[in-house]
Amino acid sequence: MAATADFKKSVEDALGKPKLSEALHLFGDAYLIARENAFRGLDFDQLRTELAAIKDDVRERRKELLAQFIANAEAAGSKVFVAKDTREANEYVVHLAKQKNAGLIAKSKSMVSEEAHLNKALEAAGIRAAETDLGEWIVQLAGQRPSHLVMPAIHMFKEEVAELFSKEIGEPLEADIRTLVDAARKQLRKDYFDADIGLTGANFLVADTGGIGLVTNEGNARLCATLPKVHVVFAGIHKLVRSMEDAIKITRLLPRNATGQLLTSYVTWIRGAVPTPGNDKEQHIVLIDGGREALYESPVCRDALRCIQCGACANVCPVYQTVGGHVFGSIYISAIGIILTAFYEGLDRAKEITRACIGCRSCTAVCPANIDLEEIILHLRQQVTKEYGMGLVKNITFKAVMRNRALFHNMVKAASKLQKPVTQQKEGQPATRVIRHLPMHFMDKDLTQWRDLPAVAPRSFRDLFAGIDQKVDNPRYRVGFFVGCGADFVYPEAGISLVKVLNHLGVEVVFPNSQNCCGIPALYAGDTETGVELAKQNVKAFYEADVDYVLCVCPTCTMGVKRDFVERLVDDPVWSQRAISLSEKTMDAVAFLENVLKASDLLKATSAARITYHDSCHLKRGNDVWKEPRALLRATGYQLEEMKNSDRCCGFGGTYSFLSHPQISRQIAGDKVESIKVTGVKTVAMDCPGCMIMVGGSMGKADPTVRCAHTMELLAEAIVEKPQGQTPGEKQF
Amino acid sequence: MAEKHLVHSFTEAAGRVGAAVVPCTTLQDAVAYVARTAVGHTLIPQTALAAEFQLRSLLGGAGVDVCSVSFREAGQLPGAGVTFCNFAMADTGTVVLDSTSEDVRLATTIPEVHFVILDPAKILTDNLAAAAPMNTLYAGSEPRFVAYITGPSRTADIERVLTIGCHGPRELHILLVPDVSDDLMEI
Ligand code: SF4
Ligand code: SF4
Repeated sequence: MAATADFKKSVEDALGKPKLSEALHLFGDAYLIARENAFRGLDFDQLRTELAAIKDDVRERRKELLAQFIANAEAAGSKVFVAKDTREANEYVVHLAKQKNAGLIAKSKSMVSEEAHLNKALEAAGIRAAETDLGEWIVQLAGQRPSHLVMPAIHMFKEEVAELFSKEIGEPLEADIRTLVDAARKQLRKDYFDADIGLTGANFLVADTGGIGLVTNEGNARLCATLPKVHVVFAGIHKLVRSMEDAIKITRLLPRNATGQLLTSYVTWIRGAVPTPGNDKEQHIVLIDGGREALYESPVCRDALRCIQCGACANVCPVYQTVGGHVFGSIYISAIGIILTAFYEGLDRAKEITRACIGCRSCTAVCPANIDLEEIILHLRQQVTKEYGMGLVKNITFKAVMRNRALFHNMVKAASKLQKPVTQQKEGQPATRVIRHLPMHFMDKDLTQWRDLPAVAPRSFRDLFAGIDQKVDNPRYRVGFFVGCGADFVYPEAGISLVKVLNHLGVEVVFPNSQNCCGIPALYAGDTETGVELAKQNVKAFYEADVDYVLCVCPTCTMGVKRDFVERLVDDPVWSQRAISLSEKTMDAVAFLENVLKASDLLKATSAARITYHDSCHLKRGNDVWKEPRALLRATGYQLEEMKNSDRCCGFGGTYSFLSHPQISRQIAGDKVESIKVTGVKTVAMDCPGCMIMVGGSMGKADPTVRCAHTMELLAEAIVEKPQGQTPGEKQF
Repeated sequence: MAEKHLVHSFTEAAGRVGAAVVPCTTLQDAVAYVARTAVGHTLIPQTALAAEFQLRSLLGGAGVDVCSVSFREAGQLPGAGVTFCNFAMADTGTVVLDSTSEDVRLATTIPEVHFVILDPAKILTDNLAAAAPMNTLYAGSEPRFVAYITGPSRTADIERVLTIGCHGPRELHILLVPDVSDDLMEI
């Protein structure tokens, strides 16, 4: 448990230094713009599908390709050593250095040398390693480790750099970036000339040429490879590609996705021991397994080795932006860092960061190697839970309560009564119920300091539905409604509105009463068993209902039904068939309205209210739905004003925001509140009850005059006959 | 003949990353430009094209301080390097140099300023089109060092502020000179 306390402390420390988080936010915003420009005219999805296919083929043929690479490199005079782990790799370099009587090694950037702690090993043998990449040098002088894959010193400010450089160089330097870069240029130039060995990484190991490829901006790798007599290449075996074409294709994606550059200043292709005046050049290639073979063998996680180390999964990650790479990572950071840490350093080292991921899927969306990072992290979280447990509150909730539908629903009812004394009316909004302060015994009291928590509705959707009289003659479709916990117990109005809108468009709604929670909260916390049981209950309920489509108003539920039920029941032939047919007919309500019913052609523009729209992570990146709600809202007359970063996570992440990392959630939610405030709009639409809890709750504290509504509510309001002079979006104020 | 639109997009792309692209009518123009611009010791590797066009004596004659010792003895931060190149890529503004000869490597990495002479006939559409000549360069099993150079050296490692001139040349001047060579294997 000590690790947990340490990790909590490191999170708190990071949150106590808002300057870093501010810088990372600015960087994240600028990055998105640069990246968009860089990909203009190219089809990112096609490119990344192609890259994934290349890397998958390399995975399957890795033995043969490695042999081909080695043979070609040796034919050009390279010496190749395959190290089974980083210790062997270090030993090789130390031995070589001793043999050459080398006192100084000039290094350009190599993440695997960080992984190997090579500098320490050299130091222990009395050999000085000079990092020449500017960022790496800064980090080395500070005695730290990189906090970003591409920009190692992104966490440092120029004043700190000036202090470090002044000390190292022995003269006072101004905290001016130009001055500092010039000082480094001069200082490090000596090292290239004095070094006996130059060490570089490799972005590619090209099998059919036996050469390496280096993608860099500063020009230090070229100097390291050129000036010293011995060139050591230190690289992981997963850098293999089949051919020059493969490597060239990757150079089209890597800089664009890393920094928004079309190409870096230098791409350098080196094969063999290149000639020198004395013809005494040596090239040694150290290829490191270090856990990669095990990762290749893991069917669930192996896609992670497609990684080309662009660092983008950090740039877009709300958790990274909030706490930085030293907290949210180890040697490798952010999404890919979670996975590599688990494999290269052990699950124990990865358990805290695995739990710190909020599950927003931004990393998955931005990855040029098409790695479903979020899904792999989810899988690792289940492993972590299996090995280290889940924590008491979650354990009781999921195992004892959620699996028993009747008990769960009764407890929720009881909660709705228990909370009475603590709920209060939200200012100016008679219809909304919020919890201002929770009973002390329920959860940590600081949970309600910065946001209102939604109260459980006095009557759940399932109770209310029984009283609805659906007047639909000759329905176009009969659809089942998978309500999900959020819409059932907290925001039943979302479901009621859906029924109204569907009835208006000639569709009848069926509600199987035996449906239960989708199980994602349990699954996200790592409780697979409960997930399987809940999947069965739900598949059965909808199988018996026999409807044309199944709709959700919560995109997390949609993902659960579409993706996870099928996976959870895959081992059972009968149930898996039923799960697949349920999956095929399940979709988000907005997607059904727009794509099946073509509702934006049918609905009338009756509203004129100004609104803004928040894209839920799971709706946009989990289900690829984001155009649909906009089309529907515009069709009904709403004036949509886009907020900045509309698809950035709101910080909810289910139990994450309550139990795992409420402080990180708080920061992320604060960003969303700011974006909304800037629009000046008084209504925020969204399609996820989880987001409604988070955005609604945080907005409630920040500006109670802003209303957070489910798209279904706004659509329902727009189709209802209204008295003159009132627009539906504003009628509650 | 170089297609106009390739020259145009090359010039734009190279300009965007901070290279100076200078159209010249003849090699003499280019020589005059280097003589006007270069400061200090200048490294001119004796490649096939440099020998054919007697680049060293042309530049020396125009008053450039041509390095006559081994380039490793030319100091740690010599003034300039002047080279030809194998080919270029229009979409990214990149020049490609077979740098297997150590002198080419030194002349393009250590000086403050790099001048590169490019015949517009050598401009390819994009990096996919470069795959074929790259494969030719890497045929056989001889050691080989090929450099793609796109603009001057840069870094953003301090506070993510783009700063030109970290370890490589601070300036890259690309001199477009027609009728030099359209052979992509030649530098
Ligand atoms: S899912 Fe979101 S929070 Fe988790 S690692 Fe990816 S970007 Fe970060
Ligand atoms: S996992 Fe994907 S996004 Fe992250 S660094 Fe690797 S390639 Fe880039």
